[in-house]
Amino acid sequence: MKEKLTQIKEEGLQKIDNAKTLEELQEINKELTGKKSALAEVLKSLGSLNGDERKEIGILATDIKTSFAETLKAKEDEIVESKSVVSENFDLTIPGTKVLGGTMHPITQMCYDLNDAFLSLGFEVYSEDDISSEKFAFDNLNFPEDHPARQSMDTFWLEGTEEKSGNERLCLRPHLTGGSVRYLLKHGAPARFVYPGRVYRNENTDARHERAFFQYEALIVDKNISFSSGMVMIQTILEKVFGRKVNVRMREGFFPFTEPGYEIDMECLVCGGKGCKVCNHNGWIEVMPGGVIHPNVLKSANLDPDVWTGFYINIGLDRLVMMRYGVDDVRLFHSADLRFLNQFK
Amino acid sequence: MRVSLNLVKKYIDLPKELTSKQIAYDLTLRTVEVESVENTSEKFHDIVVGKILEVKKHPNADSLKLCLTDIGEEEPVQIVCGGSNLYEGEFVIVSKPGSEVYWHGEGELVKIKKSNLRGESSFGMICGATEIFLKEMFPPKDEREIVDLKGIDCKPGQNIADVLELADTILEIDNKSLTNRPDLWGHYGIARELSAIYHLPLKPLPKFKMPEGIKKYDVEIKEPQKCQRYAAVEIDNVSIKPSPLWMQAILINTGSRPINAIVDITNFVMIAAGQPEHAFDKTHVEGEKIVVRNAQKGEKLELLDKNYIELTEDDLVICDTKEPMALAGIRGGIKDSILPETTSIVLEVANFTAKSIRKTGKRFDEKTDASIRYEKNIDTQRVDDGLSLALELFKEIFPESKITAYVDNYPVKTENEIIDVPEEFLNTRLGKTLPKETIERVLNDLGYKVEYAKGNYHVTVPVWRSTGDVYLKDDIMGDIARLLSFESFEPVPITMSVDHAVLQRDYTLERRIKEYLALRCGFNEIFTYPWIDEKYIDASGANKEENITLVAPPSPSEKYLRTSLLPGSLEAITNNLRYFTEFKMFEIAEVFKKGEYHPSTEEETLPIQEKHLIASITGKDPQKLFYELKGVLELMPGYVHMEDITLKQGDKPSWADINVHLDILLKNKKIGEIGLLSIKTMNAAKIKRTNVAVLELNLDKLEPLDSRTNNFKHIPVLPSVEKDLSVLVPEEITWKEIENAIKNRVDSITFIEEYRGNQIPEGQKSISFKFTIDNKETTMTAEQINEKMNSIIKELNRKCKATLREE
Repeated sequence: MKEKLTQIKEEGLQKIDNAKTLEELQEINKELTGKKSALAEVLKSLGSLNGDERKEIGILATDIKTSFAETLKAKEDEIVESKSVVSENFDLTIPGTKVLGGTMHPITQMCYDLNDAFLSLGFEVYSEDDISSEKFAFDNLNFPEDHPARQSMDTFWLEGTEEKSGNERLCLRPHLTGGSVRYLLKHGAPARFVYPGRVYRNENTDARHERAFFQYEALIVDKNISFSSGMVMIQTILEKVFGRKVNVRMREGFFPFTEPGYEIDMECLVCGGKGCKVCNHNGWIEVMPGGVIHPNVLKSANLDPDVWTGFYINIGLDRLVMMRYGVDDVRLFHSADLRFLNQFK
Repeated sequence: MRVSLNLVKKYIDLPKELTSKQIAYDLTLRTVEVESVENTSEKFHDIVVGKILEVKKHPNADSLKLCLTDIGEEEPVQIVCGGSNLYEGEFVIVSKPGSEVYWHGEGELVKIKKSNLRGESSFGMICGATEIFLKEMFPPKDEREIVDLKGIDCKPGQNIADVLELADTILEIDNKSLTNRPDLWGHYGIARELSAIYHLPLKPLPKFKMPEGIKKYDVEIKEPQKCQRYAAVEIDNVSIKPSPLWMQAILINTGSRPINAIVDITNFVMIAAGQPEHAFDKTHVEGEKIVVRNAQKGEKLELLDKNYIELTEDDLVICDTKEPMALAGIRGGIKDSILPETTSIVLEVANFTAKSIRKTGKRFDEKTDASIRYEKNIDTQRVDDGLSLALELFKEIFPESKITAYVDNYPVKTENEIIDVPEEFLNTRLGKTLPKETIERVLNDLGYKVEYAKGNYHVTVPVWRSTGDVYLKDDIMGDIARLLSFESFEPVPITMSVDHAVLQRDYTLERRIKEYLALRCGFNEIFTYPWIDEKYIDASGANKEENITLVAPPSPSEKYLRTSLLPGSLEAITNNLRYFTEFKMFEIAEVFKKGEYHPSTEEETLPIQEKHLIASITGKDPQKLFYELKGVLELMPGYVHMEDITLKQGDKPSWADINVHLDILLKNKKIGEIGLLSIKTMNAAKIKRTNVAVLELNLDKLEPLDSRTNNFKHIPVLPSVEKDLSVLVPEEITWKEIENAIKNRVDSITFIEEYRGNQIPEGQKSISFKFTIDNKETTMTAEQINEKMNSIIKELNRKCKATLREE
């Protein structure tokens, strides 16, 4: 009897092990543990055995039954685990389904990055209209009366106003700085604001020159501040744009609306400051002019220059975006070419 | 401007260990931008003096000669040469193998190699002036002339740059960084800056003392506001000869051309002291008198090339007793030229004011080395420097010359600016307290005179900075900051008081709209120019009466500034159709219309400027495109947190399809339009085999919400009943009518689709939709639901002639 049971067990476990599908396993389960199974037969015949043997065989048969149940469960788990909802030839290399997505212009993206940084420093975002007057674009900003930028060859003047002057001579703004006086006239001082926007210059275009381009200007006006505080704004901008500390130098620069004015050069990221074609072999790239707001500009904004002071930073957004992505032709920004714009997802 | 360190070093002794690179860096940080540093002798490497020992015929070429030449090496070398002026004993210039020259004076630089010319070996080349950058010093008379060094002290083998004193270091300075500094347009000014930067002594310029008893030259200044000073010196016994090599070298290296000693002296003084000068041939000055006056109407100036320029009463001219000889401070006419036979001259050292020079220069579109300097406003005292330096040089170069007449007519003198600079002002604005000694040293080095008393610096500005450059205490502060270098000032953190949050809803709204369109709806943001080709304006059907125009547009067809963003989008669509068939684009930008608007002051009147949003979807199926764009618009207010908009059919926009257009309304006021492009517009814009849905609205009119307006509704406890229904209705019945017919009987209703096809009878369409009926208190029985359905169908039939579609 014992041998028979051992045989039942071995054969049973073998069958379970050979099972491939859940259906097969169900059949085996019935065969091994059902009412008509060999094991059931053995259990039925227990009555005909004597005490000790009956006990021994009984324990053995129960063990076998338990063993069958456990092995079946284990096999079932194994089969379920190996099952898939798709065929085994499912191609994982096929690209994922594209989520429908458009792009914001790379200039807009850069602008928002900078806005985020400046908003966190308590700056406001301001914007002036594209068309301005000679009064705001030049007179208020301490441009000399016969400054070349006032000529038609440099600025886009509007027809019908070109022979007039000051408030009545209108143009597409040649820079953002005029907006600073507009803001200060309206809101007064102290002030802390950025004013990004598009500006227009009448010049010949090539890969590095455009007639319409973007600037990002920031201005702080307050009492008793030092020109060197401007460095804080510069570092904010560069760290935001390039994500790490960038070496800069601050050097003498001249602009009618600043005194003193300075140019901020950034170490060339292409050559690491060694000198290359991009930086004209001197290791530095001019990225932003700035300076202390000129007393005459403060007067234009009805502010007393003996009380108030402040400083500008003006960034050429196009150039910064070009450096960020390695874009080599500034005209692409106004091309509306989707082959270009699609790259900035 | 090209700055010669050789010339700078005449005025300041710079330490030997100071490299030109360091000088360039220090000047860039503190004074002017040095764009590059050039070593002028570099290009003359391996170009040396040779002495021709023997000239023989070339056995195989009539036009060539074999020259045995001593080039300072152990043995003389043979050089094949086709020069027209070869002779034995001639000192010539030899470019040895390894040197680089312009072959026949043209094209790119070519490296010289040992070569073989028609069977004869040649060790390099005997050079003509154009081949080795010397055409200014040795202008060739004919193509085959080689440079003859006769009269020049030299030995075979010497490098030619050393012989000709051409070895120099040139700092190329960005002229833009010099615009406000008239004092830096001469080398003496740069030397002065270096003396301040390195705190080294600056050597004085020569002071010429006019001998006693010289006859007075007659100069009359009729316009003292334009000509503040005019010194004239008549010098006899001069001649036309080359200037000394050192002077020629400096002229060449700084970018001018040596002409003759007389002209070279005037040019040299301008480069050195920044004072333009002019020499007239004495015999040209009729009446021995110079008159500085405005030109008369109809007067002309005859030029060297025998052409005339017409003068106006605004132009300041230098005249003799008869007629104009020169346009003051800009250019000379034929009468002021120096001739080969000139033996006596009248030297002009004058001061002309910037305004008049600029005005005249602009009219003739002429900038000369002199006018560039006068345009910056030069101090009148500089005439003294210019005059002294020039007369010293005449004495040196023409020892036999004699001053025969002289005048210094000096009606207006540049006054020193006087500025009080409080110490406290400097401390605050500089961000640190500098010792009094440092401030005084820096200012003294730059030529300021400083008296300190009771917390105040009483500063006298030097005249060369007193012509508009320095007049405020801020200017003095700037000079101190730059000279000590901006970088020597530690950044001072900005302190701020926080009294309100920066909350800018308009800014946030625009940003959310951009993000909604780009990131959620799949549009690409584009930028187009504000000026637009008129063919696209015409295509949009807009008239151009409202357009503002440019005086000098980028091109004649682009004079109109946009009144709408549509023409720019039409162009962008046309261009992109070359590469894509389906795409979505948007732009936010300003448009401009005639009108009046005062953003800042009453005195300033600007035209109407509105910020617009345009969005377009390009593709095949017009119906699909329109509904997609309409969906983008309808969902936008919720996503961007703005006041809701409504849509209503109005007048047809000029660009829109006759059937498909809607006005966009905000609080019942029209703020924009949405529709399909008409076939006419597409044809005119060359948009082919495709369709475009467009919306444009005035972004300024949108109203951001202070907060969200959504209200929370309880999630129903009992499941609601959802039913689909397809009905047949006559073509003219709109969805709105169907919705209105049953909306009171259901909880919500959602459009699914509109269908026409084979199974649908002519004149009818099938509309599918779904709706939900809420269980308010108890679960509805099937009977109740049926009853509700029947009442809905009945209502649809009564109001919309709808019948249930047989499935």
